[in-house]
Amino acid sequence: MLNRIFGLETEYGLLVNQEQPDHTPTWFAHKIRDHLFHVQRRGVLDLHHRGHDEPPGNGGFLTNAGRMYLDMGHLEWASPECESLSDVVAADRAGDQLLQDAVEDLGLADQVSLIKNNVDHETDATFGSHENYLVSRRFPFTRRGLGPLVTFLVTRQIFTGAGRVGTAGPQDAWVQMDRLIVPRGANQRHGQHPAMPFQISQRADYIVNDFFEWVQQNRAIVNTRDEPLADPNQYRRIHLLLGDSNMAEVATTLKLGTTGLVLQLIEEGHAPIDLELHEPVETMQELSQDQDRQWIVQLQSGKSISAIDIQEAFLAAAQAHYGGQDAETDWVLDQWEAVLQDLRGDYTKLVGRVDWASKLWLLETFREAEQMTWADPALKSLDLEYHNLHQGKGLYFGLMEEGRVPRLTTDKAIALAMDHPPRNTRAFGRGELVRHLLASGQPDEPADSRPEERFSPSYVINWSIFQLRGQAPFPMPDPFKTYVQEVRTHLQSV
Amino acid sequence: MNYSSMPERREGPGSPMPKAPSPSEEGGGPKRPETGSPDKDNLLKRMRKVDPKQAERYRQRTGQ
Repeated sequence: MLNRIFGLETEYGLLVNQEQPDHTPTWFAHKIRDHLFHVQRRGVLDLHHRGHDEPPGNGGFLTNAGRMYLDMGHLEWASPECESLSDVVAADRAGDQLLQDAVEDLGLADQVSLIKNNVDHETDATFGSHENYLVSRRFPFTRRGLGPLVTFLVTRQIFTGAGRVGTAGPQDAWVQMDRLIVPRGANQRHGQHPAMPFQISQRADYIVNDFFEWVQQNRAIVNTRDEPLADPNQYRRIHLLLGDSNMAEVATTLKLGTTGLVLQLIEEGHAPIDLELHEPVETMQELSQDQDRQWIVQLQSGKSISAIDIQEAFLAAAQAHYGGQDAETDWVLDQWEAVLQDLRGDYTKLVGRVDWASKLWLLETFREAEQMTWADPALKSLDLEYHNLHQGKGLYFGLMEEGRVPRLTTDKAIALAMDHPPRNTRAFGRGELVRHLLASGQPDEPADSRPEERFSPSYVINWSIFQLRGQAPFPMPDPFKTYVQEVRTHLQSV
Repeated sequence: MNYSSMPERREGPGSPMPKAPSPSEEGGGPKRPETGSPDKDNLLKRMRKVDPKQAERYRQRTGQ
């Protein structure tokens, strides 16, 4: 798409299939990471401290220029910078496949399952799927300027949500109501704990602010941390953590594509006006939990309108201004329109394209066959299994096996993205560096006791800069530039 | 609706990444989705194999 760099960060859950007290999910996460780097040699581990929670050896960049690491005990995959939607969907699936291949290579496929979801039904733990969009520094990053984005994000869950059984308990957090920050328990609607068979979003229950910079507590609709990972004079990175991890390739692509177009509408002053939501945080949860799927919301103007109508207003603006912009934009506009149209009818039309619809259909089918009520805890287990990355077990892959899931990438493209970066972004240059380091036999054990390794590691790689010991730092501030020739020249001179 | 009509990646300024094949080149490739409910028998078999208590074992830490 036009002038956009996309990226996805996914935290995975690990389901231990046998009771093994010494083998926690974190134990398996370490084992899988070590296999990727030390045995499969997919990339190079960090030799330096990236932060207080990322010591040397916690993770590293791969030959495809993406990053695999541990975060809060979860395996996390950050895709390389992608300039097209087809690249980012392949990179997303490549992260899944890299981990699943490692599990199978280790002979652990019967012991542990990789679950690409965002909630633990029993403990209410949540973990993220983060989206990154590069925008111009001139983007109106103010409460007023971001108003249309908030409206869009809150309502897009009707086609981006992954769905879940039940609801999370009240979060130990503060929520914003009427411009006041109050304990979540003070909100009577949430204090009642209504029975909730199924809702369309996994993350809606955990979003408690409209704007905030933290990522673990007080998660917000728009994360405000200013960390562009690029030239800060030219770029800003819009970092979103309200979305669900998607299994369906159509959902992943629409999530990124529609959001990219709405950012363009805002950048260029074409976003629909007068659609600001009254209480967007509450609206996000109410939409997700609406059992009738009418999805009526209240605007600041006092008017009531459906989330589908709001999405159609954004769609109409994008069609008017960006129709014909490029082939991917046209694909997004066509699919966005089709999905919104189908959302007005029988939800089963969306099976295979929209994750919550696929999951709901599977659960309803099972409930009917087994004469089971929504209160049966087995449904939570089926909910998890939808996200299992084992192709012979996962329910999403069961739908795919039946030929009911439209593909937007191919197994060959995914295999390619597991090893290679996109060749039209900064990722290309970084991938060259990682290959060079692997070929030159750089140490893959960061716990080197030599003082020069501790205080002057032989390499330091970050998203926008790298440095080899004894050499000048090599900045890569422009994500649209490949730097590949410059990196090759730099490496030859070492 | 032709879901496989998603355009292939655009080539950038570097030397081109090996081209991803279009779905139709893979033989069996993606099938056109049907608008009705999918066939249920195989899916029910798959669902019946799931340990109904596995959600109790999940035990994840909160992340970001």
